[in-house]
Amino acid sequence: MPEVVKASVEQLLQRHSARLWRARETGNGAAAAVPTGLPTGYAALDRCLPGAGWPRQGLIEILADQRGIGELRLLLPALAALCRDEVAAGEVYPSPRPDPAGSAHAGSGMPPHDRGSGGWVAWVSPPFRPYAPSLAAWGIDVGRMLIVNGAGTTEWAMDQALRSESCSAVLGWANPRDPHALRRLQLAAETSRSLAVLYRPLQAGLTPSPAVLRLALLGGGTEGLQVRVVKSRGGRPATVNLGH
Amino acid sequence: MAPLARPPSPHRVRVTPAFRPSSLAVPGRAPLAQSRPRELWLAIHLPSLLLDSLRDVALALPGRPPVAIVDLGRNGKVVRACDEAVRAAGVREGMSINAALALVPGLHALARNARRERQLLEAVAQRGVRFTPRVSLEPPDGVLLEVRGSLRLFGGASQLCLRLQQELENATGVAVRFAITPSPLASLWFARTGPLGARPVFVRHRDELASRLASLPLGCTRWPERSIEVLGTMGVRTVGECLRLPRDGFARRFGQELLATLDRATGRVQEPRAAYAASERFAARRDLEPEAADTARLGLALDPLLEELCQFLRERGRGVQVIEVQLRHRAVPVTRVRLRFVQPVGAQPRRMAELLRERLARLVLPQPVRNVRLLSGPLLDLQADAIGLFARDRRESGENLPQLVERLRARLGNDAVHGLTCVPEHRPEAAWRAVEPAATPQAGRKARGPAAMTRQSTTSRAEARTANAEARRTRPAWLLDQPEPCTVDRLVFEEGPECIESGWWDGHDVARDYYVARNPQGARLWVFRNRRETTAGASWFLHGWFA
Repeated sequence: MPEVVKASVEQLLQRHSARLWRARETGNGAAAAVPTGLPTGYAALDRCLPGAGWPRQGLIEILADQRGIGELRLLLPALAALCRDEVAAGEVYPSPRPDPAGSAHAGSGMPPHDRGSGGWVAWVSPPFRPYAPSLAAWGIDVGRMLIVNGAGTTEWAMDQALRSESCSAVLGWANPRDPHALRRLQLAAETSRSLAVLYRPLQAGLTPSPAVLRLALLGGGTEGLQVRVVKSRGGRPATVNLGH
Repeated sequence: MAPLARPPSPHRVRVTPAFRPSSLAVPGRAPLAQSRPRELWLAIHLPSLLLDSLRDVALALPGRPPVAIVDLGRNGKVVRACDEAVRAAGVREGMSINAALALVPGLHALARNARRERQLLEAVAQRGVRFTPRVSLEPPDGVLLEVRGSLRLFGGASQLCLRLQQELENATGVAVRFAITPSPLASLWFARTGPLGARPVFVRHRDELASRLASLPLGCTRWPERSIEVLGTMGVRTVGECLRLPRDGFARRFGQELLATLDRATGRVQEPRAAYAASERFAARRDLEPEAADTARLGLALDPLLEELCQFLRERGRGVQVIEVQLRHRAVPVTRVRLRFVQPVGAQPRRMAELLRERLARLVLPQPVRNVRLLSGPLLDLQADAIGLFARDRRESGENLPQLVERLRARLGNDAVHGLTCVPEHRPEAAWRAVEPAATPQAGRKARGPAAMTRQSTTSRAEARTANAEARRTRPAWLLDQPEPCTVDRLVFEEGPECIESGWWDGHDVARDYYVARNPQGARLWVFRNRRETTAGASWFLHGWFA
């Protein structure tokens, strides 16, 4: 009898496979062949993420204490891609080329004259000045950066930017202590089509968060930037070394 | 009398017969082009302008006494207008105030107020702007609208008059009389005569004008009284009789000026009219009763004013970029709240109200507010946005960005939100600049990085790519506002030195050796050594992080 039941369950699952979401199938196999994420520009990291890239919906948390270890480098190829508008509308992006060194390829492979015009990139309460010449060198359209210095109101400003639908990416630097604030941000990120990234201290990784993806960054000395996937909806914890 | 008794001269004014022989006209069709007027002028005459302009003053008088509007005439104060009741007692325009007081002892004399009359006339003209773009003022008591293009839209002349009358009654409460003819002057003359409630005169064709004008009394022409008197003694009392006089004699006797008015009225001569330009600012006030001490109530009080402003903008099809709210208190100076929009904003009451609420919420009132004023900045043309036919995504056009910027600025302040641009400069701190966030994608496309700089010398894409790769290695993503003194004991230098020596011409002279260095924690830093002696003593500075 149990065999029969199991068989019929499998049949049912097969029959409705298009309508079912199964956690263990997201990160690999059939689902990975059709990447839904926004390619990070780092093949090694793409392989660890469900959807083979940054999730397009939902909050991404990047936890880092040290500065200068590559916390922006992680994101810049994706921002450059958004500025080029290749992927802004959510169409399927050709799968990233294998890149054993794990170095950025999106930036180098791109012509300096851009084609489309993506949305804006909002930087909410960045700790330093985003340096325009460097951003331009990464292939980012500097004329589409929106810098918001809103110390103390970062979550509000991010929320506004996410809701306005005029930004293709919203980056914020804050450490909301209030779980409701995080929840609201996650909801806004879920409904918005913008890439939503919140930079928080490493310590925040100890408390739960509704974010869909949490990455902890460690700048461990000589071996370069280590990215640890702390939480990933539909994926598994992993550690990637992105080198220098 | 002599010149008029002469035998008919070849220069006689020709009077067109009032009817055309029907044999010439094709039945059911308009006669051929000759009488198709290019313009049709609707004249609005305000017969009781003087009384209407002071009506609220008269109504505010205790006991509602009978009123007369007086003016300084040749022999002291003269009655210019009066109530029906006063008129019934025998008071007439032009009567001295003493004579009028003798007839109506309780008469209250109000001084004529030219400014209020002008305001009322402009209020009428502003309503007229809704019906046609061509509006012209005829002071003191007439407004002309060119309505030829509007007739079809409003369903014919009588419908148009009806709508206009309702509009004016609701807005200003004045009594009006209309007439529509191809000549502005003739329209005015028709509008000035006739009883109040009569159907408006409508003359469609220019060649009917002379015959239709014929029966009008000369008073409607507002010619000098002396001329009208002289004409009266000659037995000429109507426009038609006047038209029958010989032209040269008439001109000799009464001047070229009067002959010219006749020609304009009959449409022989076109009359150019100065266009009325609507007042270019909006201003409205509202008294608060009782005084408002909290900003939430202020927001509610401002909503109708914003609605009025939006109506004002809607009628003109224009926008504002700045609006100011003035809050008046009992004893302390006015509190001003200025809202600045990124682009001219048309009639969008919700957007304005939302922004205003945001600002008001942060406002600390020094005292309760007695009244609020809403003032607009200069009116601007609205920018037409080109929307892509196949726009996949709303954010491609960046249409919501101005609103986002305004909302953020309303709370965080004007300087807290800005865009970026690259500046071709060697000094790192001068190589970028904060700019107004570009509203259009095109405007944002000018900024380019080092690749653009090198592109001038070489167009090779490969070289631009190398320049970008180079810049990624040697320019940090984070820049410190102020270089911080640091020590380099534990740093490992990876690149450098890059010597930057520039700026001697503008007082911000730098001479630095830049290095890319790595600290023991694995972070990459951008440090420089100052090659000039500084008073601070430190020679190494941290200027950025390669994040």
